[in-house]
Amino acid sequence: MSPKHPVPLERIDACRWRIPKSYQPGMRVDGLIYADDALIADIQKDQAPVQVANVACLPGIVKHSLAMPDIHWGYGFCIGGVAATDPEEGGVVSPGGVGYDINCGVRLIRTNLTRADVQPRVRELVDALFETVPTGVGRGGQVKFGRADLKKLLAGGSRYVVNEGFGWEEDLAVTEAGGCLERARPEYVSDRALERGADQCGTLGSGNHFLEVQVVEEVVDRTAADAFGLAPGQITIMIHSGSRGLGYQVCEDALKDLRDVPRRYGIELPDRQLVCAPVHSNEGQRYLGAMQAAANFAWANRQIMTHLARQVFARVFGRPAEALGLHLVYDVAHNIAKLETYEVDGRPRALCVHRKGATRAFPAGHPELPEQYRAVGQPVLVPGDMGRSSWVLVGNPAALDETFGSCCHGAGRVMSRSAAIRAAQGRSIHKELLARGVFARARERTGLDEEQPEAYKDVSLVAEVVHRAGLSRKVARLRPLGVIKG
Amino acid sequence: MRGAVVPGVLRALTMRSEMESSYELLDHTADLGVRVTAPTLTGLVPPAVAGFYATLGRIVPQPDLAPSDDFTFEAAGDDPAVLLRDLLAELLHRFDTRRQVLTDALVSEFSATRLAVTGRLRPLDAARSAPAREVKAVTYHELGVRPVPGGYEATFIVDI
Repeated sequence: MSPKHPVPLERIDACRWRIPKSYQPGMRVDGLIYADDALIADIQKDQAPVQVANVACLPGIVKHSLAMPDIHWGYGFCIGGVAATDPEEGGVVSPGGVGYDINCGVRLIRTNLTRADVQPRVRELVDALFETVPTGVGRGGQVKFGRADLKKLLAGGSRYVVNEGFGWEEDLAVTEAGGCLERARPEYVSDRALERGADQCGTLGSGNHFLEVQVVEEVVDRTAADAFGLAPGQITIMIHSGSRGLGYQVCEDALKDLRDVPRRYGIELPDRQLVCAPVHSNEGQRYLGAMQAAANFAWANRQIMTHLARQVFARVFGRPAEALGLHLVYDVAHNIAKLETYEVDGRPRALCVHRKGATRAFPAGHPELPEQYRAVGQPVLVPGDMGRSSWVLVGNPAALDETFGSCCHGAGRVMSRSAAIRAAQGRSIHKELLARGVFARARERTGLDEEQPEAYKDVSLVAEVVHRAGLSRKVARLRPLGVIKG
Repeated sequence: MRGAVVPGVLRALTMRSEMESSYELLDHTADLGVRVTAPTLTGLVPPAVAGFYATLGRIVPQPDLAPSDDFTFEAAGDDPAVLLRDLLAELLHRFDTRRQVLTDALVSEFSATRLAVTGRLRPLDAARSAPAREVKAVTYHELGVRPVPGGYEATFIVDI
């Protein structure tokens, strides 16, 4: 599938491109894409710019329909899209602006191990992680929750599973929202969603989800790195996963329930995947309640996998996780909608901020940041492909002014899955990764083929754009040593 | 990529269709698209189901002697594309939660306003199957059923 029609992109500066609202009838605001010359060429190859324009049609949208430099073609919203709507001005919430994998996100755990400690044992470590952390299609978790406990988990998120012994109290302070959205309404989560997610809390899944053992290869901002406890040569663990089948079904249910809602409220949409409801409507509140419960499930999911990773490290290195310094640096969502307050047109407005493949990036001094990061800003975790690198950035004040405190979330795909499989024919991605110093385990060969490094943009190019645009600044670059995938 | 027939699934799915039909997997940057063609609306359903299972990987149901459940799907609406999507979403849910695969499907009606399908849901044959991807959903994006010369075409995109 190729672009239907070219979208006019007006250069604003070296990192910003405007889609004027005159491009398409119904656009209420301009589109704004963050990209440099190299990335904008890739972005124009698929329908992502059309989707940025479509999102600009949502009722109540404020300022711009935004897209980060890692954008690529999604469904409804592009992946890498940000849109804020004002509920007091008819603003809507759209499940397509969150995505099926509600609260898909990333967490980073530091260690006091060095590359010298881990490199000789990386295969043993990755094998142990692969056997302990459930990965792959249809794999259930080691931890089973009965229906009543699942409802408590949906209400309590990370807090609930930490209280059950899956983690440390300190983990909660360095998890976005403390790992729990208080307005979650588990009673709005359907039986079908509960059934689909029943045994999946504490599982990685497949696709682009991963658990990586990494080394800090470069520190750019020493002050922020010190605050995050990161130093060159240090070993870190990165986990990328979301709300698994439960979240997928919550989104599926909402899209079905909301099918006729736009017509009822007189809302015209250019793409039915953008189906939405006014935030203040019963339908909107129902979705938000269920979505927040699924978000809590995702935080609990990553928390349990953190617990499992700590157990593996303790077993392999023969010391307790506490002695190995396996402290959570941060956990951040990149598929979510949240009510946040921003100053727009000189007055504070409570907005519904959709981040679909975009990471919250609050600057120093923001009251929602944990005490230990308030002087430097929020860690922004930007995973790359499994052959090159990932980045830790830190939020800047410009993000609050321009992007509702949002930043990029990853590398962004450039190659379709079919194209990646074709490109992998006659090659061994496993061996190619080994040659790069990365030991990978996956349940299926297609998992590595479809996720090969060449399928993604170079995340360093993405990080460079948001750094130059001033949304975030670079702190540290991490390089994978080992990875497990579905 | 022109789809290879999934043994056991398409055998059952096509045996009651009266025409040549096929599915094709389409490139999509992050996900996977499926396009199917058939001379009639009813004929779209078997290749759509086969194409859907192909997005999951190699999916083979257990043989006919294995225990199976009845499957009945009926939906009414004003858009055949949405009706077809709802059928596929139901099959995804059965696969995801119970590892069941539709066989022996009979499409008794597919019109602009109604879709009715019956069949058997058989357990996945784990030994002969290789699920390769976790499909999160059958999306509404680019969803369509439209007349084309010689019949109909349907497209849908699954979220990976």
